[in-house]
Amino acid sequence: MTGGWRALVRLLAVQGTWNYERMLGVGMGYAAEPLLEDLKTVDPVRHGEAVVRSAEFFNCNPNLAGLALGATARAEYEAVPGAQIARLRTALCSPLGALGDELFWVGLVPALVGAALVATVLGAGWWAILGFLALYNAIRLGTAVWALRTGFDAGMRVGSAISTSWIPRAVARIGPVAGGAVGLAVPLVAGWYLRGFGWIGAIGALAVAGVGAAVSRWFGPSLTSVRFALLAMALLVFFRRVGL
Amino acid sequence: MTELAPHSVLLLVVWGAVVALDLVSVPQAMLSRPLVAGAVAGWLAGDVEAGLRVGVLLELFALDVLPIGAVRYPDYGPATVVAAALAAGAPWELGLGLSIGVALVLAVLGGWSLQFVRRLNARAIQRRAAALAAGESGAIRMLQYGGVLRDAARGAALTAGGLGAAWAVVRWLPLDRETAVGLTLVAIGSALSAVAGGAVRSAGRGVRLKWLAAGLAAGTLLAVLR
Repeated sequence: MTGGWRALVRLLAVQGTWNYERMLGVGMGYAAEPLLEDLKTVDPVRHGEAVVRSAEFFNCNPNLAGLALGATARAEYEAVPGAQIARLRTALCSPLGALGDELFWVGLVPALVGAALVATVLGAGWWAILGFLALYNAIRLGTAVWALRTGFDAGMRVGSAISTSWIPRAVARIGPVAGGAVGLAVPLVAGWYLRGFGWIGAIGALAVAGVGAAVSRWFGPSLTSVRFALLAMALLVFFRRVGL
Repeated sequence: MTELAPHSVLLLVVWGAVVALDLVSVPQAMLSRPLVAGAVAGWLAGDVEAGLRVGVLLELFALDVLPIGAVRYPDYGPATVVAAALAAGAPWELGLGLSIGVALVLAVLGGWSLQFVRRLNARAIQRRAAALAAGESGAIRMLQYGGVLRDAARGAALTAGGLGAAWAVVRWLPLDRETAVGLTLVAIGSALSAVAGGAVRSAGRGVRLKWLAAGLAAGTLLAVLR
């Protein structure tokens, strides 16, 4: 796979031109360029068509984009009909989006952030932050290398390569870990902040938390946590200004 | 808010641009997480403790957000940088609430600015549609560099504007001690409500909910024993 490492580095910026028309499309085209370089000398016409296809609409979780990139690049070298490659790209959007989002945004990130919060409030300071960054990026970069290689090796059979890979199993396992880590962090973080305010302050803050949870449930998405916080702060300042 | 030297302001603006870029464009290395952005901003502003206090609390709000695809979400990176600078130099019990308030407004503005940049990206693509249809790799590269530059400029502008707004808030909205402490308690309560809501939603009704409950129990025990 010529240009693999350059493609890998470019994949880090796969969302650099994110937009509502092509979504990751242009970023995928940018990352595909080094992979398609050899095609330019072998078949310049095919290369031009491949470049056009590589920058068309595409969307998925950025950490798994390498699977689609590798698979479509391999398909271009194997002279698979263009319409079939376009169908493969379209077919990969949903599974790579769902699996990647579950693995990274719903699982790994909350799990590691929860652990980092626990370590921070227990006094680890910079080590907590450096550990979080090192662990997340090691997993994420390792996944990116695996994804690009697996995609390129599998080509048009990338779907079965994904379904038999470690990804679905990891998705099932990381969720409970994330739940446990966030659950562990919340009381420790609350204690870290509220210890200095005495019982009355702590009860006041927990009452705000309770009201926030209740009204968010009552009003649904129209009253987000950010809106509730800003509303509560504005009310506090207003009542203090008018002397209540 | 401590008086910041010009070079510190410049470094904070650069850091704000970096964390704004990190959220979506490049490299998504989690530099934009409030915990990371806040600690580094606190260090740049000369008060790591304030940066950590701001970062941990905003992290609770950020855990309520899933940054998935086209979903609109607040951008906590530059907001955390500004909040850490605002909280620096004051006892955290007094400065935290106001800083979080400013950060939340900036985070919402940051989310809107992200939509604006995405629309600009779409317009740039439309302008180069013919080159893209002709398979010109150079056009793809220019679009990519343009998108990244626009996002960096967004982050820098958001951070610089936020620092200016924070300075104005401190100057024109003086708070007495009770109000400042009250704001901090409201900020803590709201953050706890946000993270609890997000955690329960993500947990659903399966095994993750059991693990969440077990984590909560263990965390409560640890917090009481400490």
